[in-house]
Amino acid sequence: MHNDLNMRGSLTIFRREFAAYFNSPIAYIFIIAFLVLNAGLFMTGFFLSGAADLRGFFGNLPFFLIFFIPAVSMRLWAEDKRLGTFELLMTLPMRTADVMLGKYLAALAFYLVALAGTLTLPIMVGALGNPDGGAIFSSYLGAALLGALYLGIGTFTSGLMRDQISAVILGIMACFLLFVLGIPAVAATIDGWVPGLGSLLQNYLGLSSHYEMMLRGVVGAADLAYFLGLTAVFLVLNALWLEGRKF
Amino acid sequence: MIEVRGLSKSFGTMKALDDVSFRINRGEILGFLGPNGAGKSTTMKIITTFLAPDSGAVTVDGIDVLERPLEVRRRIGYLPENVPLYLDMNIHEYLTFVGRARGLEGARLRERLDWCVEACGLRTEYRKNIGELSKGYKQRTGLAQALIHDPDILILDEPTSGLDPLQILGIRDLIKSLAGHKTIIFSTHILQEVSPVTDRVVIINEGSIIADGTVADLSRGAMGTNRVFIGARAEAGAVEAALRSLPVVTELKPLRATEGCRFEARGPFSDDLVGSIERLARERGWQLTELHEAPYSLEDTFIALTRRARGLKEVA
Repeated sequence: MHNDLNMRGSLTIFRREFAAYFNSPIAYIFIIAFLVLNAGLFMTGFFLSGAADLRGFFGNLPFFLIFFIPAVSMRLWAEDKRLGTFELLMTLPMRTADVMLGKYLAALAFYLVALAGTLTLPIMVGALGNPDGGAIFSSYLGAALLGALYLGIGTFTSGLMRDQISAVILGIMACFLLFVLGIPAVAATIDGWVPGLGSLLQNYLGLSSHYEMMLRGVVGAADLAYFLGLTAVFLVLNALWLEGRKF
Repeated sequence: MIEVRGLSKSFGTMKALDDVSFRINRGEILGFLGPNGAGKSTTMKIITTFLAPDSGAVTVDGIDVLERPLEVRRRIGYLPENVPLYLDMNIHEYLTFVGRARGLEGARLRERLDWCVEACGLRTEYRKNIGELSKGYKQRTGLAQALIHDPDILILDEPTSGLDPLQILGIRDLIKSLAGHKTIIFSTHILQEVSPVTDRVVIINEGSIIADGTVADLSRGAMGTNRVFIGARAEAGAVEAALRSLPVVTELKPLRATEGCRFEARGPFSDDLVGSIERLARERGWQLTELHEAPYSLEDTFIALTRRARGLKEVA
């Protein structure tokens, strides 16, 4: 019975948080900016390359989302701390993890709505040429998982901070670190300082290799485990940090 | 029932609470008094499981706040000092959200919404965004939030802060109407607010409890003497001399009078000050215009107690 209530607790938080995104004009500005920038960047390259695929769009995402996602997640905890509603949430009859999950999933749903707005791109590419449907599907899965991971980081940094600006800057830096560690040139440089360290970090923490596989249409267990596992790590850290604040 | 035993809590090097203990029985209303920064909010945050103490324990209906926080939270309605409102929601959306988060739904939720809106006088502003509400309505919305699940226990941190006198009266009446059914702790730094609502007070200062009891008991303990006002149509010098001659009068102070003379006399609580003075007046044939005991206000008591607590600290 208690588990049942906790699930409902998360759902209640989810509904409130998801509605909160659309209660302010910022949501619409976000989504429009997301679509215009991504589609615009993609279209300029698309007609030059002459290939009927979406590599250009998906290839840009890991860098683009470094800035977009922390801006989506920055309010999750920082705003509650500013409004005082944090104290309300932490004295509701549900676990910190239940509140956290409701908030996180609301942000994820918001991101997926924005991502769904780009579905016009495969439709258009499909009309102009003959793209690889499987690769497009796995690329979307990769984009969703990438966003889920960045959101995990952003939710965590929002929990650390009292104000949203600090939360977004810290989130951008953390996402950037994961992104940079996955770049082969960066890994090679680190290897030059401490032999083996760069490759190790690239393999275990860097996201490029895992993401690239999905763009090619390969969905491997290791890549899924990377995204889901690392997301879970940040969410657990988030809940632990908020619990630890009591002491 | 709430039992607080030996709570201590520090924030960095600042000691917010130092060995705080008190208890509240079921159905009792407790005024939690103290100057700003005395530790009222910290104590309430620990009772409501928002903070954990460094040492000591709190049980709510026998349930430990650290061991089973969710069960404690279910029993408590809590209005924090910084009223927790989502400014982008209207009152209906907000109360529905809190109600659902506390496990209410369907007919029960609607019934509780109705009750809270009625009890807290929110009907006219019900569909207005909370961000646009006046301070008074915001405070009342916060109170409605604490009542939504019909909790047995209410913890109200400065429920009347920033309200105008009429609004304060409204909140006071609401708290009084809940008396007997619910166990209530409300904090305030304004003394006048306590007496109309409850007799039982706990006074905290600089993180320590300096008094716990009824207002009458406390003033007795703090001031040590009883106080009587006397007014008489008679020659002031004679009255003063006669009063001074009474063994029960330990202190006498002439007061300004429009006719005749007025005095304030103090004496030990154990003696019948009023009776002795009445007999004296009858013997001397004074015509009394005034003779009554003047209980100390909570202010007097509070000032005496905090002074004494400070004195003790300085000695130690």
